[in-house]
Amino acid sequence: MDFTESIYQAIDSIRTNKLRTFLTLLSIAIGVFALIVAGTLINSFEKAVLAQLEEIGETTFWIQRLPSIQTGNTWYKYRQRKPITYRQYKELVRMTNSTPWISAHSYTFGMTINAGNLSTDPDVYVTGADPNFFITNSIDVEFGRTFIEEDIDYNRNVAIIGNDIVVKIFPNVNPLGKEISIKNQKYTVIGILKTRGALLGQSKDNMVIIPITNFLKYFASPWEESLQITVKAISKEMLQATMDEVIGNMRVIRNVKPWEANTFELETNETISQQFGSFVNFLSIFGFISGGFALVAAGVGIMNIMLVAVKERTREIGIRKAVGARRRWILWQFILEAITLSQIGGLFGIIFGVLGGYLLGNAIKLPLFFPVPWVVLSIIVCTILGIAFGTYPAYRAANLDPIEALRYE
Amino acid sequence: MEKNNNSQDRQPLIDLQHISRVYQVGIEQVFALRDINLKIYKNEYVAIMGPSGSGKSTLMNIIGCLDTPTGGAYYLKGINVGELDDDELAEIRNKEIGFVFQMFNLLPRASALKNVELPLIYAGVPKHIRLERAMNALNAVGMGDRINHKPNELSGGQKQKVAIARALVTNPSIILADEPTGNLDSKSGEDIMRIFHKLWLEGNTIVLVTHERDIALHAQRIVRLRDGLIESDEMNHHRFVFEGVNE
Repeated sequence: MDFTESIYQAIDSIRTNKLRTFLTLLSIAIGVFALIVAGTLINSFEKAVLAQLEEIGETTFWIQRLPSIQTGNTWYKYRQRKPITYRQYKELVRMTNSTPWISAHSYTFGMTINAGNLSTDPDVYVTGADPNFFITNSIDVEFGRTFIEEDIDYNRNVAIIGNDIVVKIFPNVNPLGKEISIKNQKYTVIGILKTRGALLGQSKDNMVIIPITNFLKYFASPWEESLQITVKAISKEMLQATMDEVIGNMRVIRNVKPWEANTFELETNETISQQFGSFVNFLSIFGFISGGFALVAAGVGIMNIMLVAVKERTREIGIRKAVGARRRWILWQFILEAITLSQIGGLFGIIFGVLGGYLLGNAIKLPLFFPVPWVVLSIIVCTILGIAFGTYPAYRAANLDPIEALRYE
Repeated sequence: MEKNNNSQDRQPLIDLQHISRVYQVGIEQVFALRDINLKIYKNEYVAIMGPSGSGKSTLMNIIGCLDTPTGGAYYLKGINVGELDDDELAEIRNKEIGFVFQMFNLLPRASALKNVELPLIYAGVPKHIRLERAMNALNAVGMGDRINHKPNELSGGQKQKVAIARALVTNPSIILADEPTGNLDSKSGEDIMRIFHKLWLEGNTIVLVTHERDIALHAQRIVRLRDGLIESDEMNHHRFVFEGVNE
């Protein structure tokens, strides 16, 4: 098989039929692009969900005012819901018997932390939390100590800081016992969080945790500040019972009438990944379908180009047959050409698809990675495309009558 | 000067027995060839002559295994060509026949060397042997210095020399030339005929299809066709002899 000859011929037909070939290669590229972007998103999402599940565990769920991800125009549905207050949280803790691990927290984003003359970028998460927060969210304090009840009760100005903060404002000193300031409030560093790395594209160490009472006093918006309650069941078996109890208690606390729906949202890892998943699935289905259409259109384009190539090179086929080319050889020559054409388009699709996957994944904060299986799949798809749509033209070439072909002007 | 006078004693290379070729045109049957009996022996130099419509192209296609007869039998080196399928015909063309066409029929985008290599590629000859044999063939026709030229960079005579090299490269049983000088000026045409003469002297069998008497006179034997029948088949007693060619 004259492999290089086929590649050369494919490049040659790109040169001779510029517009038609360009359009065909473009639709292959678009198809492959869509395929790879969709595939990358699916994989990224799976990784993100797995990482999240692993970290938080299966026994944790959340009570919050609104769903985490809202799709569509649902604002009117939730606007009547009242915030979850600290008082309601304390009431829930008092009433709930099935688990001791209930925490409340709230956070604000975009804060600057200062120590001496050093300061962080204005991108720090400041979280108000109580002692249980560290248990329910599996957050470990590596140095120093975590909160005690007195920190909360007297809303003390103490802080537990993440490693990103340590690196930026305490490069060469032990931060424990040192003072930091946030919005002109002074806090004493009592603990340093264990490094957690990044999830969904964001560092989880760029964080300062202060007592929830202190947070509500200095950082909460004066109205509508709604806490997120995290509940950890004591075992997997107890999860459902705990959820039922918490829902019942919350309904009592928030005065929900028996015939009314919950005025709060209960979310588990599962519901969050479902919500997030439906969004990603929409994108990927859209990607696969549009990619599929583009590839079929491209296939028709390939067939058109190859039919023209066979016609234009009728005489050449006659010559090849006269000097002894068997049908199989001619068949393979043209199929190889079609595959080469298809792969050239696919190559561009892969390049832009990988880039597009990065950009889109980055935009929705998914972990980035190189989508090897999808690139391999694209190469396979392009090969199949070349074979599927190149075989008929190649078959016509292979079955030309050598005498007529030689006579063709 | 006359060679192979005793050739009748040996097995013929080409043995056409009662060959006919009928084309169906609408409801009418057109006889391109009616009843051709022709034996050609190794190292003969035969010209097939005839006006257009005499059936000489059809006869050439049949001898060249591009076409099969509708009646009669064609034995090439004892093989009944009529019984072969398309791929077997391709193989026999590859091994036994070297075509030289009026229109040269070189691959336009391939170099002279690549063109000459082509039959060897289809014969499955390994690359290094292929290159060596293609170079030898190009040297034999005096084109050894233009191996990387594309057909559009060569003159008509040079193209035909490359085509002859391609015909030679597989060491075929027959070199089958169809109006090889038809598209050339007389000087180039003479060069080409000189090459055929040399090839014949080296032991090749040459079948020349032409309507030009001057060209046919180079051959050792002339077969005249008319209306699908052989009109005459005789030794050429007026042979054109090249000056300085030692027979």
